[in-house]
Amino acid sequence: MNPNPGPPVDAAREARASAPPRSGIRQTLHELADTGAVIGWRFFDWLAVVSWKKLLLVSLLMLILAGILKHPLPVLMLILGSFIIKVAAGGKRRADLTASEATKRAETEQLERTVAEARMEALQAQIEPHFLFNTLASIDQLIQTDPQRASDMQKSLIRYLRSAMPQMRDGGRPTLGQQVSLSSAFLEIMAVRMEERLHPAVNVPEGLKSAVFPSMMLQTLVENAIKHGLEPKAEGGRLEISAEIVDGQLAVHVHDDGKGFMPQSAGGVGLANIRERLKAMYKDRAELVISVPERGGTCATIKVPYEVVRDTTA
Amino acid sequence: MSAKSNPTAVVADDERLMRDQLVAALKDAWPELQIVGEASNGREAIAMVRSLEPDIVFLDIRMPEVDGIQAAQTLAGAAHVVFVTAHDQFAIDAFRQGAIDYLLKPAEPARVALTCQRLRDRLQHKPEPMEDLLSQLASRLGSGSIKPREYMRWVQASVGANLRVIPTSDILFFRAEDKYVRVQTGKLEALIRKPIKELIDELDPEEFWQIHRAVVVRVDAIEQVSRNFRGNHVVHLKGSTEKLEVSRTFNHLFKQM
Repeated sequence: MNPNPGPPVDAAREARASAPPRSGIRQTLHELADTGAVIGWRFFDWLAVVSWKKLLLVSLLMLILAGILKHPLPVLMLILGSFIIKVAAGGKRRADLTASEATKRAETEQLERTVAEARMEALQAQIEPHFLFNTLASIDQLIQTDPQRASDMQKSLIRYLRSAMPQMRDGGRPTLGQQVSLSSAFLEIMAVRMEERLHPAVNVPEGLKSAVFPSMMLQTLVENAIKHGLEPKAEGGRLEISAEIVDGQLAVHVHDDGKGFMPQSAGGVGLANIRERLKAMYKDRAELVISVPERGGTCATIKVPYEVVRDTTA
Repeated sequence: MSAKSNPTAVVADDERLMRDQLVAALKDAWPELQIVGEASNGREAIAMVRSLEPDIVFLDIRMPEVDGIQAAQTLAGAAHVVFVTAHDQFAIDAFRQGAIDYLLKPAEPARVALTCQRLRDRLQHKPEPMEDLLSQLASRLGSGSIKPREYMRWVQASVGANLRVIPTSDILFFRAEDKYVRVQTGKLEALIRKPIKELIDELDPEEFWQIHRAVVVRVDAIEQVSRNFRGNHVVHLKGSTEKLEVSRTFNHLFKQM
């Protein structure tokens, strides 16, 4: 296609020409040694991973060939040498190869998992426009009638938005403390709007607030409890966030005494998303359990391995 | 239309702040309008409209128990309806095309004044039931009685003394045992009282297959199907060592493709 000689070839030729003059033989020897080393290592790798059966077969073929050429001795030595190398170093070399392959695979998997997790987290973090508009309308009304409460509600909204918007979250691993603070801000807003129809309670021990806890999962449970449990019930009810250590695991509960779980409810998207994310992050070491308390309502529990975030600000 | 000197209205919203706001805005825009009742859910709104017989009812769309659209369907022409919403894109699109009036929260004085002007004109006529428009709205918003058929997505089952809610996507199979049906997941066994016969009607036929009088299996959980010495199919599951025999009646499900 290109009538001119390929520029890379030219460049290579120039580079070689401009290199300090060296005796041609020494350079050729050098190149030969390099190639020999590469071939040697290739052979070594092959020797390490090849099965004994195959090695024996190849040896036999080589012996026959050597017999025809009437020089069996060097071939015999080579075969014997190969056997010794395979016995002595084969195991280690094979282990090395498998290990490096496994690392490569693990790195790719890790990367894929991180990307998938980021995507799911972004999904989970979507702020419902209906919530935002209703809250702003409520603030507007309070400005006329009760400016102090309007100001408080607006502050809660700012606190909520600051931690709920993915692009505003600071890096580092999210803690249970941050997640509880985000959901508390949300509950304060909802309590002003729903009045006596919502009685929120947060019972999370101070000591557990430094524990690592994935972002927006608690918030999804809280929103579900209000949307499917309390809002559909005319008299509303109680919503409690609590946390405890159970058998070395951090268990975070969201408990409401609302309408109870509907078998056909489509609210499963948020929950399915939590399940997927937990699996991606912790494999089998975390779970989401939904149960029906004796006195009705719904209790959703997320269990994750208990791990403390080390204070990086110090 | 009525002998009353001043027009009357009922305002329905589950949030008191929103009711206060609308009532205040209406007072400014239409001082003669009398607010005779405030309801905090759809059911209350229906009861109030029936007992107080107002000319106009302002209905928030999202309300507990009975939502605004269901309330309007039930009231069917008992009063002139104005819907109120903070953000429902589908509804707003529908209102723009239709004859139904709507207000956005927070209510802007100019917009409220326009609605009041329209209402004064509409009060000359009898309110229309607008059945078609409402049912169309209801289906778009997923409210009301005409919902598409929904299958069971969660099963409430007892695990020991506890009642658990298990997503159907976690379930490997259901198997009738004595008077209970066992729900088997990869991790746990739970029990329900609903018989297989009723269960099969509520489960999504794309998701679950009945393979035996007493067994329903989740299709995606099937790892492979083999044949036993009697020539019947046997289902092997992912994440379980249990094997399930397919009875003759259901053998056709696994015939070679």
